[in-house]
Amino acid sequence: MTRILCVAEKPSIAKAVAGHLSGGQFQTQNTRDTFVKNYLFDFDFGPPWGHSSVTMTSVKGHLTTMDFTAEHQRWDYPPPDRLFDAPLRTFVPDDSKNIAKNIEDQARRATALFIWTDCDREGEHIGSEIRDVAKKSNSRLEVKRARFSNIERAHILTAARRLITLDEKQADAVAARIELDLRIGYAFTRFLTLNLRPMGGPLTDLLISYGSCQFPTLGFVVDRYFRVKNFVPEEFWAIKVMHERDDIKVNFSWARHRLFDRMTVVILYERCISAKTAKVSKVQEKPTKKWKPLPLTTVEFQKMATRFLRLTGQEAMNVAERLYTKGFISYPRTETDRFDKGMNLRALVQKQTQDARWGQFAQNLVDGALRQPRQGRNDDKAHPPIHPVIYAAPTVLDEKEKKVYEFIVRRFLACCSEDAKGVASDVEIEYGDEMFTAHGVIVLERNYLDVYPYENWTGTAMLPKFTLGERFEPTQALITEGKTTAPGYLTEADLISLMDANGIGTDASMADHIEKIQTREYARTVERAGRGVNEGADADADNDNDGAGGARGGRGRGRGRGGRGSRGRRGGRGGGSGRGGVREFVPTSLGVALIEGFDRMHFETSLGKPFLRKEMELQMKAICEGRTTKQMVLRESISKYRHVYDQSCEELNVLKDACRQYILAAQ
Amino acid sequence: MDITTQLQTALRSHSLPIPSHTWLQTLSSSRTPPPPLASLIATARTRLLASDLTTPSLLDSSYVATHALPANLAQQTSIPESRLGRDVVVQVLDVENLSRSRWEQVEELEAIERGEQTRGRQVIRLPAANENGEEGVGVSVGDAAATQTQAGAATQVARESERQARNATHKLVLQDCKGAKIFGIELVRVERIAIGKLNIGEKVLIRAGTRVARGVLLLEPAQCLVLGGKVEAWHKPWMEERLARLRDAVGADRR
Repeated sequence: MTRILCVAEKPSIAKAVAGHLSGGQFQTQNTRDTFVKNYLFDFDFGPPWGHSSVTMTSVKGHLTTMDFTAEHQRWDYPPPDRLFDAPLRTFVPDDSKNIAKNIEDQARRATALFIWTDCDREGEHIGSEIRDVAKKSNSRLEVKRARFSNIERAHILTAARRLITLDEKQADAVAARIELDLRIGYAFTRFLTLNLRPMGGPLTDLLISYGSCQFPTLGFVVDRYFRVKNFVPEEFWAIKVMHERDDIKVNFSWARHRLFDRMTVVILYERCISAKTAKVSKVQEKPTKKWKPLPLTTVEFQKMATRFLRLTGQEAMNVAERLYTKGFISYPRTETDRFDKGMNLRALVQKQTQDARWGQFAQNLVDGALRQPRQGRNDDKAHPPIHPVIYAAPTVLDEKEKKVYEFIVRRFLACCSEDAKGVASDVEIEYGDEMFTAHGVIVLERNYLDVYPYENWTGTAMLPKFTLGERFEPTQALITEGKTTAPGYLTEADLISLMDANGIGTDASMADHIEKIQTREYARTVERAGRGVNEGADADADNDNDGAGGARGGRGRGRGRGGRGSRGRRGGRGGGSGRGGVREFVPTSLGVALIEGFDRMHFETSLGKPFLRKEMELQMKAICEGRTTKQMVLRESISKYRHVYDQSCEELNVLKDACRQYILAAQ
Repeated sequence: MDITTQLQTALRSHSLPIPSHTWLQTLSSSRTPPPPLASLIATARTRLLASDLTTPSLLDSSYVATHALPANLAQQTSIPESRLGRDVVVQVLDVENLSRSRWEQVEELEAIERGEQTRGRQVIRLPAANENGEEGVGVSVGDAAATQTQAGAATQVARESERQARNATHKLVLQDCKGAKIFGIELVRVERIAIGKLNIGEKVLIRAGTRVARGVLLLEPAQCLVLGGKVEAWHKPWMEERLARLRDAVGADRR
């Protein structure tokens, strides 16, 4: 019988997959690693392997690590910029030695190795690490890869019989990113630390770490901080017209909205008053809709979780990861916001009919109300949008899992439902030379809103009847005045949006970078002042300020390794979600000094701006698509960062001045 | 018909201000042999539009007499409404967008100063408010689908600024050929009036019948013919000092 070795990315996936493939009949063997088990069973993979004897095991994330050689470990010599081209070695670190040994042992007797790592770039790279270790003991080993995006039984069985090959390009892209993060991170971290420590004061003992995602992330926080701090309020004026008819007070809004010049408003207002009557120039009643949401991507999921579930992005990802591992939801790292036309959505909806909260709604969909979800523009070609795979009863989930699962299910059902429908009436009047409009909405069918409390659509009072061409004397016309107000500091949802829009980090790593700038004490979160606590579930989707969770967590990771780190481990320790209101990000004086220092040096390529990193992310994509190679990207990116490094050395005083201004002077 | 009269006739047919014979004489005799009429007209037009209208003996004196603002019009702040009895030619001394706060404009100019508007150096900021209440039936689903994407944020920002530009109300400081100054405000949106589009020193013909309220011209597209031109010596410093002016106006100190 053919012997097959299967390796998953983490123990829980190995166990789940073994369970499905064996039908629950497997033997468990301990390995020398406490958490990693080998599961033994038989399975028919179909031709050419046929009925096989299977060992299913796992790694725990990355199997190997990359580091500088011993002579570059010292900080005092050689100088940091040598790290841009110093030799690197890739090795199995001590805590992974037992796992690697297990794979080597198992591979020796196997005909083929099947990789069951998560299907994304990082997973592809881990797959290549597993292959390299396995091939050491058995060079003739055939290597295949299973492609799957959830842990549901039928899906796993299909994946096991439709094996594909490892994607070297994706693995290369990750390898390039790891090497760049290492070289650039180390070089700038040493540069900053060695140069700023001697300035004394609070800088004396600091490790000032640099990461090519962290800094632009911090840059957004600092940018907004100064926008708030520097803001100058200004007065504006507007004309407000109110007309009462049929006991309804209709407020008309001015087409010019508001003007920042009193004289002009007074002149225009006077012309309204002297016209005495207003003429109805347009009356329109037409059907309107509020669109149901798009299928759920990771970025959107994190934004929604920080707004409505009182979780940080990172907590939300950890919880989603657990739900995925338990088989309840599909893979939570996806950029796709469109469901494949071939997907059996009805079957997925059917599984939710047993729930007490949304079962009835799901049943309705199954009974004929089901609609094809909206098609977004993004497809990562690897995973579908995040959706529930099987039903999870509330009793099997903890509090956070419950909230997240509920959100994912409701979002999915909303996607499969219909847009909310209403009728909008618009009345436009000419008053003097000025135009005013009144807008009314009556909600007729709530549809998806019934299952999706994270959004709301409230109708207004019905507008009374106005006839085209009629003239009337408005009950009231006033000049109003107001003042502009400063924007708020960034919320986590804002920060995620900014990172997404500017290409910083991948959807999966954004939350880590946000966490990082806090653990590095470059930024912290504060509760938004002077606003009440909103109940997330009832809040309107239009409101940015609802229910972001407390952003703590404090899960430390290795130095600037970027990307995934301790994915798969339990995270979010030491914090829990804040019970208060919205949390906002403000930079520390150290954070301000670093960003200001770099911004003032050379704005074309400031490390505090997103451009360099965005370019790097685009290069990663290009490697995956075969448009460039790892070697080319390494060469180009390193030369760019080296250039910035040289400039930074030349203008070190600018950075030091910023530190004096923001850190030392404040002492 | 002599050459200067021919030039005057041609310029008049383009609704342009009419230069004095002396000015036209100098222009047409500056090259020997004189260039063909068509290119003389083009030269006259360009130079005229680039000149300060108040320059002595630039314009024909009878034209000046009939195309200047009525005396003290800007001071008649007690008159709620009157109409211009004649066409008036003016030049633009200042443009202000009243629909945007000065601070918002300061932030925009500072972003440009930092190089963020250069290709590849854009920093995409969040749209001011997330207006996704009810959405019209007419809008294609594809457009709305963009809201989750990178491109989405950028287009949303672009669309917002486009909407603002369409609705903007500007206030101008205008000067006639005798040197009298007057405010003009957009009673109805005039496409050519926008910061960056309308030059300082640009010439505008305000048609007879234009309304004047409290000493301010009320501009509308039908009665406001933008003739073009620019006085480089005014335009350049105006652009360069715009940021400082806006900052001064709101009383902000540079950080």
